[in-house]
Amino acid sequence: MRVILHDLDSIYSERLLKKCDAIIEADGRYAACQGCFGCWVKHPAECFIKDKLQKTCLILGRADELIVITKNLYGTYSANIKKVMDRSIGTSTPLSTYRAWEMHHTLRYGKHDLMKVLVYGDITEQEKATFIYTAERNAVNNGYRASEVLFFDSPSEAERAL
Amino acid sequence: MKTVFINCSPKKNLSASAYLVAIQRLFVKGRKVTKKFRHKSDYAGIFEELKDAESVVFCTPLYVDGLPSHVLAFLEEAERFFKENQLRLNLYCIANNGFIEGRQNEPLMQVLENFCVRAGVRWRGGVGIGGGVMLNVTRIIFVVQTAVFLILNIINGIKNGVFLDTGILSIFLKNAGLLLFLNAGVLFFLIWMGIAINKRSFFSKRYTRVLVPSFIFILIANIFFVLISLFKGGLFRGWLARK
Repeated sequence: MRVILHDLDSIYSERLLKKCDAIIEADGRYAACQGCFGCWVKHPAECFIKDKLQKTCLILGRADELIVITKNLYGTYSANIKKVMDRSIGTSTPLSTYRAWEMHHTLRYGKHDLMKVLVYGDITEQEKATFIYTAERNAVNNGYRASEVLFFDSPSEAERAL
Repeated sequence: MKTVFINCSPKKNLSASAYLVAIQRLFVKGRKVTKKFRHKSDYAGIFEELKDAESVVFCTPLYVDGLPSHVLAFLEEAERFFKENQLRLNLYCIANNGFIEGRQNEPLMQVLENFCVRAGVRWRGGVGIGGGVMLNVTRIIFVVQTAVFLILNIINGIKNGVFLDTGILSIFLKNAGLLLFLNAGVLFFLIWMGIAINKRSFFSKRYTRVLVPSFIFILIANIFFVLISLFKGGLFRGWLARK
């Protein structure tokens, strides 16, 4: 399953939907993670906050390929995209193990294939390096076999690259 | 000299970040202000305190290999605020994560460094701490141990007239020593960073952890989550299952 998570204007969603199986609009109309671990210890893979991200884990967990389209913010994801990621830790379980010689949580949905990040907006060389490193870390943490980061000047260029 | 500590944990109480701020404050001189940051409504109070500060210390948990989303949103506002007010503060960071390796905080540190370049403030470095949750639990255990120690001594005093039993004291000191050992790496680096904050000098990025072998840490973490999930009921709701 190919999933797109993006922070673009909603007019892009219709076109992007033709290129994937599921789409998550990171429009910011949802709360930030409260760090309660409820999605691990109380209602597994579900958030206690009843908004559009309550069951996002069920979509992200099933992604073989995850494509993230995000504005650059200091070499990482925009706040709206990061909110979705923070609210999705239920794709893993509370149990820990070693992965890539480090401690990580075991995966509720098993391994995924590719995490592809399309970054648009003004970005420095140092921020690019941070983004590539962050995506690599995300791939290990979330069980993706590989990560890829591409940089674009504008959202429309990023969309066309798909 | 004024230093503002920003506790970025979204948790209401007893966060690991609050514990680490409390430790760091012990080793910083001058005027110290701690602000809790959980919501957008906290922005104004924080910016007010930053206006006449020389240093700011962000104390934050690591969420999904980076800063929590509410902190990222805050940084966008902070960049504008620093530029408009032409503030050249010294920015330090204390990051903690649930995994044992403190080095997993590296992407978070890089993002803060990139922020400093954009906002025109001085990146001074930080401490990345592994096993933040366990360190936080050690302070709770210490409070419980101290309470038990006092109660046992009072009971002993009433019964036998001896209000400081050396046997009870010895057990208490051994347990306290163990907790101190677990925190030793954090204490060392926070004292070191405290010296840098006082001098307003560069500290670089340093990484430490709760002083436990990783395989024991993982075992304890797993037992911890089994017990919590048992108590909260998640264990009976498809705890490890695909949903």
